[in-house]
Amino acid sequence: MKEITLRVARYDPAVDDEPHFEEYTVRVNEGARVLHALHAVHDEHDPTLAYRYCCGSGQCGSCAVRVDGTPGLACMEEARDGMTIEPLDFPILKDLTVDMSPVIAKIARICPAPDAGLPTQEEIEAIKPLRDCIECLSCVSACPALQVTDFAGPTVLRQEMRLALDPRDSGDRITDAIEKGLFYCTTCKRCLEVCPKEIDVPGKAIEKLREIANRRGLTLPRHQEVAKMVQETGRSVERTKTTFLEQVPEVIEPIGPVRGEVGFFVGCMFNGRVPQTALDAMEVMKRNGIRVIVPHDQVCCGSPLIRTGQTSYVADLKQKNIEAFARRGIKTVMTICAGCGATLKNDYETPFVVKDVTEILTEYGIELPAKLDITATYHDPCHLLRGQGISEEPRALLRLGVREFVEMPTQCCGAGGGVRSGVPEEAKALGAKRDECIKATGADVVVTVCPFCEFHIADCTDTPVKNLVTVLLEGYKKKDAERKGSA
Amino acid sequence: MVLYNAPINKMLVDEIVDAHVLVIGSGGAGVRAAIEASRYGGVVLVSKTIAGKGGCTTMAEGGFNAVLRDQDSVLVHREDTLKGGAYLNDPALVDALTHEAPERIADLIRWGAVFDVTDDRQVAQRPFGGQRFPRTCYAGDRTGHEMIMTLLDRLDATDTRLYQEVSVIDLIKDENGAVAGAIALDRDGSLMLFRSDATVLATGGGTQAYDISTNSAAGTGDGFAMAYRAGAELIDMEMVQFHPTGAVYPYDARGRLVTEAVRGEGGILLNARRERFMERYDPERMELSTRDVVARAIATEVLEGRGTNRGGVYLDVTHLPRERIEARLPVMLEQFLAYGVDIRREPMEVAPTAHHIMGGLRITPECRTTIPGLFACGEVSGGVHGANRLGGNALAETQVFGKRAGEFAGRSPERNGQVDAGQIDEKIHMLDAFLEGTVSPATVRKDLKLTMWNQAGIFRNAPDLRTALAHIRGLADQRLCAASTANLLECCTVRNMCTTASLIVRCALLRPENRGAHVRRDAEKTDPATSPFCHTYASISREGIERREVPA
Repeated sequence: MKEITLRVARYDPAVDDEPHFEEYTVRVNEGARVLHALHAVHDEHDPTLAYRYCCGSGQCGSCAVRVDGTPGLACMEEARDGMTIEPLDFPILKDLTVDMSPVIAKIARICPAPDAGLPTQEEIEAIKPLRDCIECLSCVSACPALQVTDFAGPTVLRQEMRLALDPRDSGDRITDAIEKGLFYCTTCKRCLEVCPKEIDVPGKAIEKLREIANRRGLTLPRHQEVAKMVQETGRSVERTKTTFLEQVPEVIEPIGPVRGEVGFFVGCMFNGRVPQTALDAMEVMKRNGIRVIVPHDQVCCGSPLIRTGQTSYVADLKQKNIEAFARRGIKTVMTICAGCGATLKNDYETPFVVKDVTEILTEYGIELPAKLDITATYHDPCHLLRGQGISEEPRALLRLGVREFVEMPTQCCGAGGGVRSGVPEEAKALGAKRDECIKATGADVVVTVCPFCEFHIADCTDTPVKNLVTVLLEGYKKKDAERKGSA
Repeated sequence: MVLYNAPINKMLVDEIVDAHVLVIGSGGAGVRAAIEASRYGGVVLVSKTIAGKGGCTTMAEGGFNAVLRDQDSVLVHREDTLKGGAYLNDPALVDALTHEAPERIADLIRWGAVFDVTDDRQVAQRPFGGQRFPRTCYAGDRTGHEMIMTLLDRLDATDTRLYQEVSVIDLIKDENGAVAGAIALDRDGSLMLFRSDATVLATGGGTQAYDISTNSAAGTGDGFAMAYRAGAELIDMEMVQFHPTGAVYPYDARGRLVTEAVRGEGGILLNARRERFMERYDPERMELSTRDVVARAIATEVLEGRGTNRGGVYLDVTHLPRERIEARLPVMLEQFLAYGVDIRREPMEVAPTAHHIMGGLRITPECRTTIPGLFACGEVSGGVHGANRLGGNALAETQVFGKRAGEFAGRSPERNGQVDAGQIDEKIHMLDAFLEGTVSPATVRKDLKLTMWNQAGIFRNAPDLRTALAHIRGLADQRLCAASTANLLECCTVRNMCTTASLIVRCALLRPENRGAHVRRDAEKTDPATSPFCHTYASISREGIERREVPA
């Protein structure tokens, strides 16, 4: 047995104006789950604590709560000393119980065709990964799109795809899915992160439904424009100035001895819209002894097309890009765009390793920059944090470059998944939420490592937004200036 | 109706709902019953949880037995079931089960269930214990969840009225002695009265009465207790199936089901000396012997000092291909990983756990109980599985008898008696007493569970059973205390658990033989086929054991 203390949100609408926290110290067994700590509170402190549970083994989806802010099953999450337990983000009935019925009512039911036979093994295998859902609604509670739109929620769209894959279903799942907000998903993958069954709703449902919608001509007009541009120019971003590729040679040699060599996948945003940041990155690589090879025949990675379901042209892009790097014998390809990085890592099968710039710099170790005299906060790009599982590296690098680093809560900025172009009002509303978080930190600068986030957040806040590589380069410049000054 | 709405000791009936058929329970049997009854209209389904989340169907992992291949036959399924049940089963119920299971799985597939299929597009089947043909259909190791999701889809297409998180606390009868509905508590503890022409009890099992149990929190035996109080007769309540393989640690997860599919897929059992001990207990069927045999084998290994330090044995699948474990046993993989065990690389530790109550309400093949107006189906009924249930027969039972109960309840005539107001008064007084009680239901529950595990578990004897019975009676007499109206249900539940436990122990004392899951160390082992004993029975008015003609 061990003793733990937990804070539990309590709310009885009959007497309380709003929820409040109570702290309890309980004795639990080694390996106890959150649910067992709640049982201990109920049995030993306050039998009126309202919370749901049933199977106790992660199979029924009754007991989801927020543990330190993150939704999960109380029966599967290990109880920790000091944890805070809150209900899911739905209307509260009492304490930890919430009204799940409005969401469950939106989950489509199968409409079996009268003459349908048994699906084939292939069809069953396709459906299965979407069938594991236990409707705990953790994903719906965590989804940022729901905060600002009437998006029905990840698992609701999951079910639309599950039914779309079933030859026995006779419903019109695409029309249904669009009505339920198919184009509201930013593909931030927060739902996958909290799903106890690890169901990849964005990848296996949203993007697939968007593909079917595309085949039926139902892709949003703004997304179609992007696809047209990629087909015509190989780029998803309009050319407004001299591009990055036009400004650099194929091989960028470092200053001093060569410590390493990487290929550089620049991506459309850095190539066409914010080339200066990519140029800054090259300076940082030079300074740290890393040779950069930049194949000029690289094209769009295809992410804007995959996320919006316009996949007919993607195979062609993949082949061009893989060839561009493979032909030059490049073993490691670096990205500085989180979206491109996640796409190359997750949607490609490459004969080379793909690494984010923060992974490369961490691996080689960097020359210390002079610290900029600013307080900086960091915005986790979804496609870096969840798309690539990278959160520590950029923070560690940032701490080297600024006087003070402050955390802010992680949430999608609203730019991804084609939302900035397709549903700008949603992107704006999510951006405004980021602005609130940024303001709350009191930081002078917001740092990130994704051009889409950078561009979008800059539109939504007065606080300057910078790429991490720019911060490092400014630190080097400051260091040089200080040396010069003291010399 | 004015009477019911009048405040009586701060309590009142807040809502009255009328139905033709009232179905109590939202597991596989209850939902199937409601679907079938809805053909006749006026169906109300009352679920004490959010529908689909309660009960044990949704947790059922392994499968659904049905004869689907030419090489298999209903007759063999019938024989396997009777032999597995130590010939205590009601043969008419077994006939219904085995004949109709194929039609019922066809219903599920027609309604959209995603069962695994073979590459030649047939429903896939795996071997399960005690069966001579691999006839267990499955959806990975989440078969029950697949069924319940499908059934809820189908239910949604009917005009059944669904009351969720409303818990029935007792059945109500009319002046003719027919069941006329039920009285229930909603989430806040407000009282509801359901009136019906026919009532289907589909409340599932009750092995939560044991300290170590696979059952969901809802498996508290409410149906056994409510029907008993209403005067129905129950049979074979001593027949409690201990599933051989429950998790051993961490402590709070003890008893969690480790599906028989693990052994069906090729998992082997080893004791702490790494001996494949089933060779000594059932060399022919080994790990796929019937559950009673495997559970006793494991318990014996542990009792005789050949268990692990944590009091279990090893269940090992590490010799199976990783992909097979990932595809066929994903829930097992996920659950053990959550506790730090990768079953692809290391063995699981398992020990027996109370799983299923084979006994229950005495029913006819039309699911009629011994009192008019009350039907029962699923685990709350008795007789289908005899003294030991075959894995895969419970899910089949929910569908076969769910449909039957729904059909015959639906066909019931309009009931013309009046609900007896006195009974409602009585319930209200009982609830009022809880508000003034002094003993925490949590304390009684814990005490009861330990008593049952220690004195009415796998190995039994008369002195222990008598001690247990006296103790349970003491617990049942405690003045339980509800901290608020929302806590009244807890008191009712603990009371039901005490009644269920008492029925199990009383019937265990009535059966002086070792048979199937019932092992009395102070009794002889009888040959199941020629045992002179048949069902034990218990009701408010009588209890005993039936004898039968012994074939010469």
